[in-house]
Amino acid sequence: MKAFLANPLIVKEMRERFRKKITYWILGLYLFVMGAILLGFMYVNQLNSIMIPGENRELFILIAVIQYAMICFIAPALSAGTISGERERQTLHVLLTTQLSPGRIIWSKLLTSLAYIFLMVISSLPLYSFVFLYGGISPQQLFTLVLFFAVNIVFFGALGLFCSTWIKRTGVSTITAYGLAFFFVVGTGLVCLFTADLLQELYPQQYPPGDVYQEPALQMLAALNPVNVMFQLLGEELVPAGESFLPPWLIFTLCYLGFTGILVGWSTYLLHPVRRLPWHWTK
Amino acid sequence: MIQTVHLTKQYGKLEALHDLNLHIEKGKVFGFIGPNGAGKSTTMLILATLLAPTDGKAYVAGYDVVKEPKQVRQALGYMPDFFGVYDNLKTAEYLDFYAAAYNIPPAKRKSIIVDLLELVNLSDKADAYVDSLSRGMKQRLGLARCLVHSPDVLILDEPASGLDPRARIEMREILKQLRGMGKTILISSHILPELAELCDEIGVIEKGRLIACGAVEEVSAGTRGISVMQVKVLQSHDAARTVLQASPYVRRLDDKGSHFRFQFTGTEVDKAVLLQQLIGAGIPVVHFGESKENLEDVFLAITEGVGS
Ligand SMILES: Nc1ncnc2c1ncn2[C@@H]1O[C@H](COP(=O)(O)OP(=O)(O)O)[C@@H](O)[C@H]1O
Ligand SMILES: [Mg+2]
Repeated sequence: MKAFLANPLIVKEMRERFRKKITYWILGLYLFVMGAILLGFMYVNQLNSIMIPGENRELFILIAVIQYAMICFIAPALSAGTISGERERQTLHVLLTTQLSPGRIIWSKLLTSLAYIFLMVISSLPLYSFVFLYGGISPQQLFTLVLFFAVNIVFFGALGLFCSTWIKRTGVSTITAYGLAFFFVVGTGLVCLFTADLLQELYPQQYPPGDVYQEPALQMLAALNPVNVMFQLLGEELVPAGESFLPPWLIFTLCYLGFTGILVGWSTYLLHPVRRLPWHWTK
Repeated sequence: MIQTVHLTKQYGKLEALHDLNLHIEKGKVFGFIGPNGAGKSTTMLILATLLAPTDGKAYVAGYDVVKEPKQVRQALGYMPDFFGVYDNLKTAEYLDFYAAAYNIPPAKRKSIIVDLLELVNLSDKADAYVDSLSRGMKQRLGLARCLVHSPDVLILDEPASGLDPRARIEMREILKQLRGMGKTILISSHILPELAELCDEIGVIEKGRLIACGAVEEVSAGTRGISVMQVKVLQSHDAARTVLQASPYVRRLDDKGSHFRFQFTGTEVDKAVLLQQLIGAGIPVVHFGESKENLEDVFLAITEGVGS
């Protein structure tokens, strides 16, 4: 904690962020929307059916999906303005002439933009207690789900940060970050489904229906799609799960943490002023 | 303290700097003069380790800017021509952030910040938010910012641009104080009189080439044998102008109403002849001499014909 507070950039970013009123409004709005949706559905559900405690997983799935959508929506946006924002405010040059190394700047920026969204997720955890009332999930499931969210947050944060370092303007950087995030969330799934269909069309005798997903390459692809992995964590199956050497969520976690490492390293490289100045790429 | 050797920078095909050789000694104030786009900021960016030179070497405090950027940054305070501030911070917090960014321990920061705010006359603004400061105050805060780690070398890119006359004078007084502290300062400007009384030496840069360099008087004497003259007459203003215009050595005659300024390309003898001509024409001359203060004339004289 002491080392954390000794990092000047983190202190500065926290001061800046938590002095803005909008920060609290967004947090409040987020919790309000999540709570309203959850309570609304609970109310509607008990109107036309009798709730059987212990057998109602839909609520859990619903709240997880909403939360995941929020993460996809907020995490890239929060970090897509960090470096380009400094550049636009014309404070980046000065920052780079201090003793803060580009690596440290990147890490601090990532940490501070993620701190806020972690705050959002953690402050929404009490909402899950409603879900527990109805059961259908185990604490272990919730734990893996939170871990899964954490990996996603870190990855999308690094993605936004990378765009922010690479692209000069915050606006363009945010759009690019959303585009890339869309590819990872939806695109990987489409690629997986398309490949499966293609294989089945080309070699029908080799792959009887449904069997194609036993192919290790396709399993890898499926494990890279966050939506698929999340539904597996929630106990649903979008594509049939094969027997792989690791559970899909673990493959997902390892791969995405690896991607995160690459993005952070690349951002650090791009931020080095003398090896390559940020404006070079625009020409 | 600052040295560049055959420094060259190309942006694509555009040559922003060509074979620049500068040498600035410890404790000297060096004025870097040139029109917009001459390459001043480019030179300063390279010295501040923010831009890679295409060719050549640059040293600050004995360290190579490309190979030893960390040491260079520790020895250097750099103020860009345009810079922003963090709006949501208070003045003291703003300086505290940069002090921490230079790894100064928290115990020392407080006294440093108090001293710096005192130096730039912002002591009463320590608790004000940065975005409530005026342009001149922000500029002074920026100057304080580049002093937090007490660097020996200061590189200031047009520190007075965009300031009103009063703010300009305040800035100049602070710079004089810094000179008194023995800092080596490289300061640029496209407005010349600003630098005249502040600098020990000036370098004139145009289209990426250093075309004159040395003490202020030296540069004005120039290798081209041009001097700037001032002539004041009591009456017969028009007749005086006719005589001056007729002289083959007079260039860029500037009629200021009360007196004339012009560049004189002839020898001392030619000067005497010109004075005799004026007197011979019955014009009451009250002043006839070289003018030293105005760097603008020097600059125009030196940059005449460069690059064309
Ligand atoms: N990032 C850049 N890309 C391309 N050309 C540039 C860039 N920065 C400066 N230049 C060009 O280099 C020249 C020198 O610019 P600069 O050093 O900013 O001049 P000064 O500070 O003396 O006004 C100008 O012609 C300018 O257009
Ligand atoms: Mg400039």
